[in-house]
Amino acid sequence: MSRAAVSAPAARAADALRPGADRPAGPARLLVQGALPMLALVPLCLIALAADERTLNGVSVWAKPLKFQLSVALHLLTLAVLLRCVAPAWAKGRAMRPLALALVGAGLFEIAYITAKAAAGEASHFNVDDPFHAAMYSLMGVGAVTLVAGAAVIGWLILRRPADGLGPGLRLGAGWGLILGAGATLIVAGYLSSQGGHWVGAPGADVPPTDAGGRPIVGWSREVGDLRAPHFFATHMMQVLPLVGWAADRLAPRRARPHIIALAAATGLALVAGTFAQALAGAPFLGRL
Amino acid sequence: MLFGLTWEGWFSIAGSLAMLGWAILILAPRRWPALNAAPFYLLPALLSGGYAVLILLYFADAPGGFDSLAGVARLFESEPLLLAGWIHYLAFDLFVGGWIARRADAAGISRVVQAPILATTFMLGPIGLLLYLASEGALRAAGRRALA
Repeated sequence: MSRAAVSAPAARAADALRPGADRPAGPARLLVQGALPMLALVPLCLIALAADERTLNGVSVWAKPLKFQLSVALHLLTLAVLLRCVAPAWAKGRAMRPLALALVGAGLFEIAYITAKAAAGEASHFNVDDPFHAAMYSLMGVGAVTLVAGAAVIGWLILRRPADGLGPGLRLGAGWGLILGAGATLIVAGYLSSQGGHWVGAPGADVPPTDAGGRPIVGWSREVGDLRAPHFFATHMMQVLPLVGWAADRLAPRRARPHIIALAAATGLALVAGTFAQALAGAPFLGRL
Repeated sequence: MLFGLTWEGWFSIAGSLAMLGWAILILAPRRWPALNAAPFYLLPALLSGGYAVLILLYFADAPGGFDSLAGVARLFESEPLLLAGWIHYLAFDLFVGGWIARRADAAGISRVVQAPILATTFMLGPIGLLLYLASEGALRAAGRRALA
């Protein structure tokens, strides 16, 4: 039987069996794709947050996966957007695809494990109750380092292999934002992970710390040192500095732009160092305000 | 017992078939149509056949019905019908997984992104479907050219 004799529905069915035309997504598109299932979990976890009375450390078990879904998705989307600052030969080059795959795989793994553990009412980070959970916690560390190191690589490419016509503010802001944000995150989060938890100190003798009554949304303690505060400021330099650079390209004279980025970077690092020192001293962010 | 095998025995055969399908769907390359026909069509059809046999043999005499939750619970007190209900899950979840995989391939969604969505569909069917529909919808809404 000739090919032409195959009926149209049969041909369509055969099409469905064929590989997905093997159209590999470009690295930027891959990063966006990775963020989508994370964001799709957000409304589900919000419903769970409203309906589920189980708590962990005094707050809803769903508070943590929500924060991680939003922040890891933001991280991947940030990198997808900032890839446009890299020369196309590198942004779409052979090495970028494995890097994007590693970033997306690491991010999805983190979110899957954090969300699954929350659903079980158990801790994900710092959970070393048995060999399985200890191994998973180690893998979370590998995933987190991958997410951060990948960002630093993209930052380095923005500085060394910028796209044509990229403004100096955005080049410096995005490049150094990713590199310094990644570096500061590695230091703060690396220290955090070497501890038994995110608190430093206790509200009183025999009074264990709790996440109950923390600051809105971020949930940082108002009573003891909380290492999540410097982690937050370090990690979000990766969004803030590129935005400062983008704004500087539009608003500031050309000569002033590097100084603006340098000032913003120094401010960001000072904020990280200050909140890190504050947390290490056992003091809550913003004192007892 | 059916054809000399206990319900537990049929249960474990059905589960193994479904697992095989999901393993191919999540891990195997899509290059080989004959291999992928298993999770897309053959295994759901086989499981559906098993469901059909159980329903045709045991449904008529079963207590309960679909009119209330209590009625459904009574229906599932019959072991072969409980098994039929489970095989119904396995067959339809796998078919939905195949549908997701084909659609995601056509939309150019990476296998690394497909994997956790398919794994969620395997474990918690409707949640995986929701994740996929939301992801593909957002991707289409964002436009293909925006971040090509």
